[in-house]
Amino acid sequence: MPPTEPRGAEAREARLAWWMTGPAVLTILLVALFPLGWTIWESLHLHDLRMPWLGRPFVGLDNYVEVLQDRRFWDSMAHTVWFAVVSVSLELVVGCALALAMNRTFRGRTLVRLSILIPWAIPTVVAALVWRFMFEGLEGWLAHDLKAWVPIILADAWKETPFVALLLLAGLQGIDPSLYEAARIDGASSWRQFRHVTLPLLAPAIMVALIFRTMNAFRVFDLIYVLTGGGPGTATEPISLYTFNSLMQNLRFGYGSTLSVLVFLVTFGLALGYIRLLGRGLTETRA
Amino acid sequence: MIRRPGRWAVGGLGLLCALGCGPESTGGPTTVTVSGSVLGAEGQILRRQLERFDREHAEIRVEMRPTPDAADLRHQLYVQWLNARATDPDILQVDAIWTPEFAAAGWILPVDRYASDTADFFPVTIDANRWQGRLFAMPWFVDVGMLYWRTDLFSEAPRTWDALDREVRGAIADGTPRYGLVWQGARYEGLVTVFVEYLGGFGGRILDGGRVTVAEEPGVRALTLMRDQIHRIGVVPGRVLTWHEEEPRFAFQNGEAAMMRNWPYAAGPMQDTAESKVAGRFAVAPMPAGPGGHPTAAFGGAQLAINAFSPEAEAAWLVIDYLTRPEQMLERAQLVGQFPTRTASYDDPALAHALEIPPAQAREIIEAAVPRPVTPVYTQLSEILQIQLHRALSRQAEPRDALARAAAEMQELLDRVGLGRGDVAAD
Repeated sequence: MPPTEPRGAEAREARLAWWMTGPAVLTILLVALFPLGWTIWESLHLHDLRMPWLGRPFVGLDNYVEVLQDRRFWDSMAHTVWFAVVSVSLELVVGCALALAMNRTFRGRTLVRLSILIPWAIPTVVAALVWRFMFEGLEGWLAHDLKAWVPIILADAWKETPFVALLLLAGLQGIDPSLYEAARIDGASSWRQFRHVTLPLLAPAIMVALIFRTMNAFRVFDLIYVLTGGGPGTATEPISLYTFNSLMQNLRFGYGSTLSVLVFLVTFGLALGYIRLLGRGLTETRA
Repeated sequence: MIRRPGRWAVGGLGLLCALGCGPESTGGPTTVTVSGSVLGAEGQILRRQLERFDREHAEIRVEMRPTPDAADLRHQLYVQWLNARATDPDILQVDAIWTPEFAAAGWILPVDRYASDTADFFPVTIDANRWQGRLFAMPWFVDVGMLYWRTDLFSEAPRTWDALDREVRGAIADGTPRYGLVWQGARYEGLVTVFVEYLGGFGGRILDGGRVTVAEEPGVRALTLMRDQIHRIGVVPGRVLTWHEEEPRFAFQNGEAAMMRNWPYAAGPMQDTAESKVAGRFAVAPMPAGPGGHPTAAFGGAQLAINAFSPEAEAAWLVIDYLTRPEQMLERAQLVGQFPTRTASYDDPALAHALEIPPAQAREIIEAAVPRPVTPVYTQLSEILQIQLHRALSRQAEPRDALARAAAEMQELLDRVGLGRGDVAAD
């Protein structure tokens, strides 16, 4: 910008910029913040569609107090964490092994890389139905509080591991082969090469996979909805299913909104934590 | 499979309405809309009956509004519509357990000013539709839980649970049929209906006025028996815990089960030799009873109610009155096997031809039917109970503890909404 330009033009330009970005900002506000704000506002009310005679009084934090004393809420939180930890660990380990295998040169590599994506491309509901039919044949598995987790975690791993594998494969391909050469010359075993060359350089990719998978695992819904419906009892009910149940089936808008806000806070916190970790991880690898 | 045509029908009707409703609201005939099951044979017969009504009443035109066949989804949709004070549909097909809820919410109109004489209906069908002394819906057809048993395996139906356990165990000892008694044990409303029947068999009730009585001795005994039949006695397969009403029917129809608890609808398809292996080889009986109780059937079925926001309540009543006449009920019995709600129908020889089940027997079972708790918060109470029943049946909790927890939560809910112990009697 030439320094001779009068100040008025600069202000005009700034105004123009606001006009031009305005629609985008407004859209974001409308699409992202308005529903969030509405949900928070709703969570401060007693609002049960099935009991209209109670009205829709403002109750402050009553719903939050009730949630914190609700056993089903804590159970479903515990189920969610357990599901996320087990399924994501499994997916990372198996995905890493698959990525290492696919990173080698062999005949038909492209075909293998493509075919590995098939489970990932199948809609979750369809996959869940297939797994349900398989396990319905096993007497009592879906009606057992611990065994019912087996098809859930297997189905999730089956479906999501390819995604992790491909992400890690991309990371592997970015590693300079000369590093392995140097390691070999120095007499490093394959395990040491993996531990000290592959793993540190793969860390950013692992981090990205971890973020995506944990966030998604935390919001798991359709898979469990179809496979066990959260049962037996509520033994496999994750928080998103409980929220759906309160909100859409029981039509307890106030209480369900409270659950939604809490789910949002937890996932948001997770995301923030990961972003900070990822930022640090990236700077460390660069240094 | 079912949903696609349903959605098309919604779209099609919506379009028809957009094209057709507008001009007719001035002058022309009054339009009344009926919502409910419009799929398959049920939809065809309703359409036929409504066309006949249209011919008899030039001043009224009736349209069908499709709603989901799954009870939970239909309930959810109604609640959303009525919260929004939708004036359409005018007539709602409701489950008996929703009548008090909708009545207390002021969403449906009392119909006793129209239906002056209900003496012809089974008392249970009227009681279930009363709220605070007034009648809010007309019984359309009855569903009752019945025991289906194989006449080639047993000489008579067991009257007690002990007899059933003994006979069924004998019948399945050699592995054929594969299962003993099958029922709907998934965690949903159907499980509560089965429990209500076991519970009645031991003389128990879920609610007594505003007091939760489900965790008392009869309840514990009933639930313990259900669990033991699965895990100790071995006459009920564990897989029923993920089954709704169709899976037991398939098992029984394929000759894989010795006995089944199911609704009347199952009899029709099972008498069809083309798809059933047990056609002509089964009969029905009331559910067995234990000590201290009597054979009990859970009462279900459909009612017709008038939307409180409908501007055409009078015309809507004419439609309801027409659909609940004995001839129309008889036709429903003939075509879809649904039990009439009027006692006199059971003396009509035509009903014997219509039903796959002898009318006298159907009548006996209906007379042993009990409504589920008549309270506006039934769906909430039921959800609490479903979870705890399912926990006990999948051995995550002892029956006594599970019921105690259910009772505590149910009582808390009733007290919170002012329907508990000392408050208004719920029935």
